[in-house]
Amino acid sequence: MGKLSAKCIVAGDSTVGKSTLIQLFRSDGSHFPKNYSLTTTMDVITKTVQIPDSGDIVELFLCDSPGKAMFYEMTEGLWDQPGALCLVFDVTSETSFSNCGRWLQRIKSKTTSPYLPGVLVGNKTDLSGRRAVEKIQAEEWAASHGLEYFETSAKELENFDQPFRALAKSFHRLYQERVENFKSLL
Amino acid sequence: MTRAGDLCLSSAGARVSLATSSDDRHPAECIIDGNPETFWTTTGMFPQEFIISLNGLQKIGKIIIESSSVRSLKIYTSATKEPTDFEPCTDRELEHVEGQFHTEEITVSITGRPIDLHFSILQGLLWFAGIGATM
Ligand SMILES: Nc1nc2c(ncn2[C@@H]2O[C@H](COP(=O)(O)OP(=O)(O)OP(=O)(O)O)[C@@H](O)[C@H]2O)c(=O)[nH]1
Ligand SMILES: [Mg+2]
Repeated sequence: MGKLSAKCIVAGDSTVGKSTLIQLFRSDGSHFPKNYSLTTTMDVITKTVQIPDSGDIVELFLCDSPGKAMFYEMTEGLWDQPGALCLVFDVTSETSFSNCGRWLQRIKSKTTSPYLPGVLVGNKTDLSGRRAVEKIQAEEWAASHGLEYFETSAKELENFDQPFRALAKSFHRLYQERVENFKSLL
Repeated sequence: MTRAGDLCLSSAGARVSLATSSDDRHPAECIIDGNPETFWTTTGMFPQEFIISLNGLQKIGKIIIESSSVRSLKIYTSATKEPTDFEPCTDRELEHVEGQFHTEEITVSITGRPIDLHFSILQGLLWFAGIGATM
């Protein structure tokens, strides 16, 4: 059995639902924070994910980062050497979607690795009447940046754990490839 | 008499007294088992550390470390009974060549009582590094 650890940056504009998704995932869906509480420092939440059919586990160190510029700038230094990234936007906000490119650049500038496992999450799908970003549009953008795309509604407990599980899986796959590579070298 | 290269082997009484990451298919004991085909893997994030405790009175002039994906390495030594009070011994930026295990020779001058060697991998590539052997 192996236990891997991945530092995962969760980033995106303010109020898109980053903290909510993380809290839900941490509590296995039992805790939906009803009132908005602005994230001002980087909170690190750890959660262990079992990788199916492997006996291995990945411990995710989820770095819940502030979306508000002023607070983000103070915590940016803590993003060093990320192992995975989770970009979140709000499907009812065109701006939060178009800002994803900038968030991605910021995270990529913190790593020297050519490849970083990552997901894009369109949250708040329960607000279907106010939807401003189409699924296909987000999927295309995600694919063009090597990210896997997920839609979630934290409010209705829909898919909230999928993006994190997918990240743990890709990180695990990367590890296996690395080990195979080491084997082939000796 | 101990030949150079013997000290860091489990057959010479060396043991791993600490390793920060674990995959029991590639445990840190692989570093000192004398088998060239086995290795220890780190399992995400840096720094990663391991301590090898040597047996008996030692005089060490050279440490050879075989690794892959290790970028920056620090070695500390401690000559106390418990692995504490470590003193910096050397600091290395390793030349990492993709797709290769790299052998690094580090000249040191260590003498004393039972010695612990503390290896700290400060930076690696792609979050995972492998250590094949130390001598
Ligand atoms: N309708 C709806 N509201 C949601 C959903 N997810 C989160 N919210 C609400 O959106 C608001 C902001 O959520 P947070 O998780 O605090 O947002 P954040 O991205 O962490 O924001 P910052 O900490 O400022 O960066 C809260 O009031 C949540 O209850 C969702 O799926 N649907
Ligand atoms: Mg928040």
